[in-house]
Amino acid sequence: MTLAQTQAAFFALVTEPEKIPKGEGLELFVGTAELPAEERVQIYANMYLWRLVDALRNEFPKLAAALGDEYFLALMEKYLRRHPSEHPDVGLVGRRLVRFLREHPDSNRRADLADLAELEQVRSQVFLEADAEPIEASAIAALGPINFARARLRLVPALQLRHFEYEVALLWRSLDDEQPPPPPQRSPNEVAIWRKGFSVFHVVLTMEEAEALRRAMQGAPLEEVCAVYSHHDLPVQAAFAALSSWFGESWVAALETD
Amino acid sequence: MSFTRKYLGHGVGLRQRHFGRWLTEKPAIDWVEVISENFFSRGGRPLAVLDKVRAEIPVVMHGVSLSIGSTDPLSAEYLTELKQLAARIQPALISDHLCWGSHGTKYGHDLWPLPYTEEALAHVVQRVQAVQEVLQRQILLENVSSYVGFQQSTMSECEFLGEVAHRADCGILLDINNIYVSARNHGFDPQQYLDQIPVARVGQFHLAGHSDKGTHLLDTHDAPVPDPVWELFQSALKRCGRVSTLIEWDDHIPELEELLGESSKAAALEYDVLGPQSIPEVA
Repeated sequence: MTLAQTQAAFFALVTEPEKIPKGEGLELFVGTAELPAEERVQIYANMYLWRLVDALRNEFPKLAAALGDEYFLALMEKYLRRHPSEHPDVGLVGRRLVRFLREHPDSNRRADLADLAELEQVRSQVFLEADAEPIEASAIAALGPINFARARLRLVPALQLRHFEYEVALLWRSLDDEQPPPPPQRSPNEVAIWRKGFSVFHVVLTMEEAEALRRAMQGAPLEEVCAVYSHHDLPVQAAFAALSSWFGESWVAALETD
Repeated sequence: MSFTRKYLGHGVGLRQRHFGRWLTEKPAIDWVEVISENFFSRGGRPLAVLDKVRAEIPVVMHGVSLSIGSTDPLSAEYLTELKQLAARIQPALISDHLCWGSHGTKYGHDLWPLPYTEEALAHVVQRVQAVQEVLQRQILLENVSSYVGFQQSTMSECEFLGEVAHRADCGILLDINNIYVSARNHGFDPQQYLDQIPVARVGQFHLAGHSDKGTHLLDTHDAPVPDPVWELFQSALKRCGRVSTLIEWDDHIPELEELLGESSKAAALEYDVLGPQSIPEVA
């Protein structure tokens, strides 16, 4: 048997043991009375699954808590059979999980879990994003009114805005507090996720603020960002409050003028 | 063909759990080892932490997915990323494992053993040479913990490892815990393994913890180094002399102080065995 054939046989036994007739291929291995070849190969089969499930549990701890150990293991096994790791970094094995959850709904689990997984994934991404030195709100004062209107915000890389169909922040909070989660509530919402120092935060934004932030992320000048609030009862105050909070949360890396 | 050992002292793994500590403090340690793949395609904060640490102490790059024994073609993408990372941080050493862990496009993220045959030997030697050609430097290969052997094998793991190092002109990362674990699992004498290892090729030691499952030992890297491994470490010091030594702890990672404490213990044992005098480097 060639090395390639040996590896193919080993790989099948370890990664898809359910497809191999019992006992087949075991003649390749050395066993002992204390630990027969079948059990030795099974150690690798178990480790293959556990290692990948562990990596998924590390990235999606709230999802794992919401599902419970048994269901999480079963669901991740299904996911891994469909999407085995194809990257040398095991930390990326879960990159298709959110889509998998959305494409494979199951009436036996909560409807908001794909949103929860997406929030966890974005939080992980934000944690790993590059550092950028934030600037203070006082930078606006130096612009003057004309430059203010034309200026664009350069936001820090560790900031993302996501749309969710369910009130995922409520679910997150209950899991974080180890309280029974509320029933899934469908209520489209926009969540900002960012890192400050070594801590990751998220907050549900008003639809107005989310739109303003989206425009800022797309590079719109501040007059277009602030125009979101034009129909507001107190438009200037509302725009000022939003911008102030962005500086306060260290979301702004630079003010750029043409 | 030769291998020159660089003595770096005592190191620990640089892990995400301690990133904050590394950024704000300068822990008392000689060097750190990073898992190479954790810095591939990531950019951002991990690389910033690594850059900061590298500016202060030597860094060793340790890979887990090179899959040097696989019969699939070497991944050009992987080697490009490895080379780019090495160019950036100028590591003191680059290592991976004497095993395989991928098949087709799929990664097992495990360290699967090879049959120790002439075919496997020629295959691994040719691939190590290719990797060293790409990186323009020698690499070190680590002996893995294993739970199964192959009927086809015609030589021992130690003979195979030594022969790979000799023919491919690479170094050996001798994992003392892995010797102990595999010795228990396969019923060989760990001291005999040490006695047969080509000392001049040994460039680094790993120390770690394992779990006793009754019928076998499992290499878990989730606990302090156990006494039998410390004893084998002392034998390895007597046999090899002063070798850069790393404490590996990858699961249930403790506070940095506990990790540093394990490393201090290794340094103290090295002092006990080899004394304060510098041992000439093995060339």
